[in-house]
Formats: sequence, C-alpha cells, structure tokens
Amino acid sequence: MKTMKKSLLFLLIAVMVFSLSACGGAAEEEATPGELNVYMWSEYMSESVVQGFEEEFNIKVNFSYMNSSEEATAKLTSGGGDQYDLVMPCDADMTALINGGHLAEMNLDNIPNFANLGEAYKYREFDPENKYAMPYLMNYVYVIYNPETCPIEITKYQDLFSPELKGQISSITGIRNLFPIALVALGYDPNSSVESEIAEAYEWLKGYMANVKVLSSDDTEQAIVSGECSVALVFDGQAGRAFEAVPGLKVADLSDPIQLGVDELVIPANAKNKENAELFLNYLLDAEVMAENLIANPYTCPNVEAIKLTEDSYKLNPAINIPQHMKDNYFLQLDVGEAATVYDEYWTMLLSEQ
Amino acid sequence: MNSSDTVKINSRLTKRRHFKRNTAPALAMAGPVTFWMLFFVLLPLLYVIFISFMSRDLYGGIAFEFTTENYTNMLKPVYLNVIWQSIKLAFFTTLICLLIGYPFAYYIARKPSKVAAKLLMLIMIPFWTNSLVRLYSLGLLAAPKGFINIVLQKLGLISEPLQMLHTNGIVVVGLLISMLPFAVLPLYASIEKLDKSYLEASSDLGARPAVTFWKVTVPLTLPGIVASIILVFIPSLGMYYVPETLGGGKIMLIGNLIRNQFLVTRNWPFGASLSILLILITLFMLWFYTRVARLDELEVF
Repeated sequence: MKTMKKSLLFLLIAVMVFSLSACGGAAEEEATPGELNVYMWSEYMSESVVQGFEEEFNIKVNFSYMNSSEEATAKLTSGGGDQYDLVMPCDADMTALINGGHLAEMNLDNIPNFANLGEAYKYREFDPENKYAMPYLMNYVYVIYNPETCPIEITKYQDLFSPELKGQISSITGIRNLFPIALVALGYDPNSSVESEIAEAYEWLKGYMANVKVLSSDDTEQAIVSGECSVALVFDGQAGRAFEAVPGLKVADLSDPIQLGVDELVIPANAKNKENAELFLNYLLDAEVMAENLIANPYTCPNVEAIKLTEDSYKLNPAINIPQHMKDNYFLQLDVGEAATVYDEYWTMLLSEQ
Repeated sequence: MNSSDTVKINSRLTKRRHFKRNTAPALAMAGPVTFWMLFFVLLPLLYVIFISFMSRDLYGGIAFEFTTENYTNMLKPVYLNVIWQSIKLAFFTTLICLLIGYPFAYYIARKPSKVAAKLLMLIMIPFWTNSLVRLYSLGLLAAPKGFINIVLQKLGLISEPLQMLHTNGIVVVGLLISMLPFAVLPLYASIEKLDKSYLEASSDLGARPAVTFWKVTVPLTLPGIVASIILVFIPSLGMYYVPETLGGGKIMLIGNLIRNQFLVTRNWPFGASLSILLILITLFMLWFYTRVARLDELEVF
C-alpha cells in the first residue's frame, strides 16, 4: 500500500514536471520567429520606430535598461553578453572591449545603410575596419550659463577656474569627463597618460571643485533651472531640458575643444541573434527611420542623411544648434590603458579632500 | 537466520530510523539554507577573496597573476583617508541616531503596549517606500523652489529662499531618516524589558534621576545600545548615496570607491580587496559586540 502511494506520488510529480515543460514548449512555438534583446539607456529610442521594425520583420524586440554605460561595459566584460544581441557602451570603452575579444564582428554587407553616416563616424581609430561598433546618437559636453546671474563671460575652460564663480557651478561628474577638461585647459592631450600631467590636472580640478556646488551626472541641469547655480557643465541632452524650462539660458561660446561622447551599438561576442541585430542596425541607420527617431530624441546624430530630413524644431534646437566651430573642435575619450589606475587615484584624492 | 544476520538487519534498521528521525528533518529544514549559503554566499565570497589577490590587465580584465599589491595599495594616504572619512561619517550617524533614538525609544517603551505598537508602526511606515525615493523627496522639499521655501515665503517669514539643499545639515537629516528605525527598534526591545522596580529602588535609595539613569538604566539596556550601534554603524559605512544625492555629490567614501573600481576604472582586484576590508571591519564590530554584550543576547526586535 505504502509503495503504491509512493509510486503514485512519483507519477504525479512526473506529470507535473512534464506538463510544465510542455507549457514552456507551447509558449515558444507561439512566439514570433525572431527575437532581439537590446540593452541600452531608457527613453532613448522612439517606440514608434521599434514598432515599425517589429511589424516589418516580424521580430520581437525586448529591451533591458542600464543605469550607466559602464554597466553595459561591465556586462560585456564579465561574460553576461550572451543575454543580449545589442548592447550600448560608449566609445571610450571600445578599445578595451575590442581588444578583450568581447564583441562579435558585424558584416557590413548586411548593413548597406551604413553609407548614411557622416565620414567622421566611420572607420574610426579604435575600429579601422568598422567591424565592431555602430554609432547611434552622440552628446557634446559644454557649458551653459544664465546671462542674468553669471558674473563673468565664459569663453574657455580656464574661466571656470575664476574665483568669481565660487559655489556657482553645477557640473557633471566622472573621472573621464572632468580630467580631460582640466588637461585641455592646461594645454595637454585630453587623453594624456603622463602622470605629471594628470597630477597638474588634479591641481586644476581642486580649484574647479571650489567653484562647484553640485556634482552629479543625473540631473545636472536642475541646479541652473532652479536658480541655485548660474553656470553648468552639462551633456547637450541636459542642456536641451534646461532650455525648455528656462528659455533665457545660453550656451557659452568656447574656444577650447569640447568632448564628444558617442553611444555605440555593439553585438556581444556570444550573441544568439546576430542576424537580427544586423537587421535592426540597418533599419536604425535608414535616414527616414532615424529622422523619425530624432523627433522624440533630439540629440546630436552622426547620420547626416537623416539630419537632412529633420524638421526645423530639431535643426534649430538651441541645445543642438551650437556654433559650428564648437562642433568641429571636439575630442573623444580614448582608452588610457594602465593610466586608468593613476586617474583613479587622483580622482579619489580629489573627492576625498572635499 | 543466524545471529550475525540479525545484527546486520538491526543495525540497518537503526540506521534507517536514525535517518528518518534525525537526518531527514535536518536536511529538509536546514538543507535549503545551507545550499543557499554555500552557493550564493560562500562560493562568491571565496571568489572575491581569490580575485583580490590577482592583478588588473591592460584593458581592465583580471590577469591571473598573484599579487598583494591590492592590499598594500590601501595603505596609501589617499585610500586611508577615504576609509577614515567613511568611518567618521558612520560614527556621526550612529551618534546622532543614538542621541535621538534613545529618548524616543524610552518614551515609547513607557507607553501602554497598545499605544507603543502604534508608535512603532509610525516608525516603520516610511520604510515601505524605497529609501532612494524618500531621499529624493526630501531633496525636492528642501530645494530653493521647493515646498518648505515656498510656504515660508508665502507666510512672510523669509524673503530669500533658504539654502538647505546641498548642505551638511540636510545630509545629517537624510542619514537620520534612513537609519533611525535600526536604532530605535533594538533600543525599544531592551528598554521595554527593563524592570521598573529597579528604578523605584534606585530612587528610594536616594539617587537623583540622572544618577539612576546612568547607573541603572544605561547598564541594563546596554545590549540594546550596542545592538543599535552595530545595526546603524555597519550599513552607514557603505551609505554613500545619501551624501551623494543630498550633499551635492562632492564626496568619496568606501562605497563610491568600490563602485568606481568595478565600473569606471575596471580594476576588479582592487575593488575586491576593498570589499574584503569592509567585511573585516564588520567582523571586528561583531567581535567587539561579543566582548561588550553576550552574543546570544543580540536584541534586535
């Protein structure tokens, strides 16, 4: 009797297990033939654009969102890339990702719309054959100010050092956002790996920090919108939000080179749906699609053909429509190799002394 | 059947009985937790210890070469300073929580139990929302164009908005609202148990209230005090986000430092060694607790 009970129980469990797996199987069959898993910033791609792709190619796009591009890089380097088919790190990490073997090669034959990109954004230094990284949208880092409250005229980074701005600056943060500005102000290579230059930049930043009231990359523009600060070092997207809230704000006309950061789309080395990823990249690079995407995401775009199709609301957006000489005079964040730990040490010193 | 067979069967039976009576229940009850601790706590921890002795390769990966540099690096003044700052902040948080939490817990503990339960509930309710949400809303309240400033201006009490956000004062408030329940609950538990007759005896024997407090109340509630010190101090060590969101972000504590090692500088081995340091500080605190109050009296609730 007891054994019978036991075997019945066993059967019951077996039935349950099988019915469970049957459920799984059935669900899989019902799903669309294609799938694409994307890991990127939230609110950075129009839903209408994504829907258009899903309908045209019958591929379901699943998004997961990150809090920082460093998280994207960490996912790729720690071997978590196989969960995704497209990931969005920033250009600064590309050298490490490519040399670490974390990325899959793209087949440009499958991405004919690649031709729509501006020449400056193809075959870049870290990816001479353009096998690994496709630029999506970009951001400049520049200075905005409130003409009514800002006590000085700002034309170069050195002006941010001025004692008159004490407690007046709201600034983005990050080792590789602030050190380059100090290095440029001192006349050095923004991606320097020379320790003595980094040390000098650290001294410069100490003076800058005395003027900084708020140091945050999340809502840097808030402090200038609320009137707490009169100057802000911001990403252009944040500048756009600030201009919407306070139309009187202005972009400082800088003679120094400004930082350009590019959000790249890459395919992880062990991605499961590489073809779908290439399809999606090609679709995104289509001029009309990207022009539509720019309506909800008014950011600087490397797709020159798409920009031609945009409305004035995009072209005349004060956050994007900055003086041409500033746009041309940009620098990129490059890998600094072993100097990364030197930067880290000076950065730690800088912040722990505040 | 000979006797040796009987013995064999008997011993098998005893074994089976032993399994059913002792081993099986133990496995069923402690098994899942043991499995969890082994695979999700112990193994990862061992891996963290392992990589803390490795080095960083050129592109921010882990190079499997043994080094103790990650630990000797910590002794550089710059990193010692970060550790010191973190300990200082945790210390002040603990002190403030204790100074405010003790009278409060004392007040609750002297109320009838029904009222006390309601008051304790009031302490817990804010914790049903995420701590970051609470901090951000505090930031919104204190902003130059925030609720407090607008109300004060409308009432004509101030003409210019008060500068509250991004000051040390609001950081202290933020730390306090994050940690206060951890201080109050263990304090309440031990004050509540305090036998009133001791206090009466003390005052009958002529001790002034202050003396009674220091000589009777404090020693008797010491386990609760130490428990609340530990419960506040340890999380405060890693709480870098309060000064970051409310204080204006110009801060470097162990928490930020570890985060930077893993995400920004991609120096995982150094980040791992710093994590080990945090664990060691925690262990030291627990050891300290077992010296001051006996561990089996860890009064949390």
